[in-house]
Amino acid sequence: MIQFENVGFRYKRGPEVLQNVNLEIPAGSFQFITGESGAGKSSLLRLLFLDEVPTSGRISLFGRDVTTLTRDEIAWFRRRIGVVFQDFRLLDHLSAAENVALPLTVSGARETAYRDNVTEMLQWVGLGDKMEVRPPELSGGEKQRVAIARAVVASPDIILADEPTGSVDPAMAERIMALFVEMNRLGKTVLFASHDLAMIEQYKLPITTLRDGTVSSGMGAAA
Amino acid sequence: MSAIRGKGALIPFQAASGGLMLLIVAAMAFLACFALAGALATTRIAATWTEGLAGAATVRIDANEDDRARRTSLVLDILRDTEGIIDARALNERDVAELLTPWFGGTPDLGELPAPGIVAVTLDTENEPDPTVVQARLDGAGAGAIYDDHGRWRGRAAKAARAIGNLSWWALVLTVLAIAAAAFLVISIAMVAHKGTIEALRLAGAEDRFVAGLYQKRFFWLGALGGLIGSGVALTAFVGLDALSSVRAALPMLDAPYYWPFAWLGIVLACALVAVLAARLAVLTTLRRRG
Ligand SMILES: Nc1ncnc2c1ncn2[C@@H]1O[C@H](COP(=O)(O)OP(=O)(O)O)[C@@H](O)[C@H]1O
Ligand SMILES: [Mg+2]
Repeated sequence: MIQFENVGFRYKRGPEVLQNVNLEIPAGSFQFITGESGAGKSSLLRLLFLDEVPTSGRISLFGRDVTTLTRDEIAWFRRRIGVVFQDFRLLDHLSAAENVALPLTVSGARETAYRDNVTEMLQWVGLGDKMEVRPPELSGGEKQRVAIARAVVASPDIILADEPTGSVDPAMAERIMALFVEMNRLGKTVLFASHDLAMIEQYKLPITTLRDGTVSSGMGAAA
Repeated sequence: MSAIRGKGALIPFQAASGGLMLLIVAAMAFLACFALAGALATTRIAATWTEGLAGAATVRIDANEDDRARRTSLVLDILRDTEGIIDARALNERDVAELLTPWFGGTPDLGELPAPGIVAVTLDTENEPDPTVVQARLDGAGAGAIYDDHGRWRGRAAKAARAIGNLSWWALVLTVLAIAAAAFLVISIAMVAHKGTIEALRLAGAEDRFVAGLYQKRFFWLGALGGLIGSGVALTAFVGLDALSSVRAALPMLDAPYYWPFAWLGIVLACALVAVLAARLAVLTTLRRRG
């Protein structure tokens, strides 16, 4: 499903962020990605949702070399990928519910068809009473939960979560973690990036560590 | 539930840019109506002129009074014997004086003037005679007369009408281009302000044509509303302004009032269509350029 072959990546100016990364993530797996701040976790996810292209090597996604995709195909691939951005990237002029509905709206679905889904998702992340509130009036943790609801609402094949528990309290973090595990149980591939090694080591799940631009794999210990 | 509005809310359009677009389209539609009316009226007026001149010719006989009667009857004989001429009639002095009145400002006393003898000729419009042949016959008989079927005037009137008509069509083309250019410019500027929003839509899986559709929808309404306002003001001016009554009289659609709403609707839809196409082009090229 996701395959990195000798992938190198750098931003236009700046040093190499990723070097010679080889990674294979089978469909339906759950994978933590960890590493210190600045190690390249967000960059790796950015390559996966096709916001950047590798400077060398090859990334294949859903069986396609990502550099061969047309603009329309990129759009279609993104509909199969839900992303929780580290900086949330909510639209300030839309309500929380409209932000959550965005992946459904842009794929042409009718509002009546997904209204209940959106409501349910927002209730699940504990924001059932904030549906009409706009992001500028939400706390950091609330924005993060809106971003999470948006990432999973369209039931994508792959979920990319960039520090999705960074702004919430431990109880909510556990709830969010449980959501992603549940999504994985439903067959979704989950990539969960976090620098919080103490948190992710509680789970008996594969961990990929980024250091000096390359990856090494390990396994968390069951709590 | 009001927490989720439709697609229309996705892009935070600025009222100011919408107002600017509206103003430009309305002004252009207003001008387009006058260009269109000009084209239609000119065509109609030219047709009336040439129709009025068709089917008639004149023969002028320059001669002193003694010789004039003889030559006139010679000319009449020749003309009545020519195929394609239905009737030929010599105008008496009164007729001629009447014809000349506008140039003299009062009924002239022809006794003092070497007024020409004039023969009015009625032509068979289905089968007008060749003027050079008629002239040659008159010359052959030594009538000393000049045959004039107004062909030169007809040709000039038609040419002038065509020229004005062509200019009007060019004015329409320029109007369309101006609306398209305005839409293109307004959108290009707006898309800079909407950059973050558009990026978020793309990341959520929106195709370029979806983003373009959001702008197209808005510019359809701006184009239609601008067209409605501009053409509405122009039509009100046509109907209401006395000074334009002769233009109004020359507009063929007044013969058929049922025509009006369709012409109006056509202008409004044309404005909307031009705005939509320009919007689509502007959005798609901007998105591709950004990559
Ligand atoms: N848009 C960008 N342009 C240039 N350099 C960037 C950009 N984003 C991140 N970087 C750099 O790339 C490196 C990796 O960043 P990032 O992937 O965000 O790491 P992490 O998510 O692991 O903290 C850092 O050195 C960071 O400064
Ligand atoms: Mg990061």
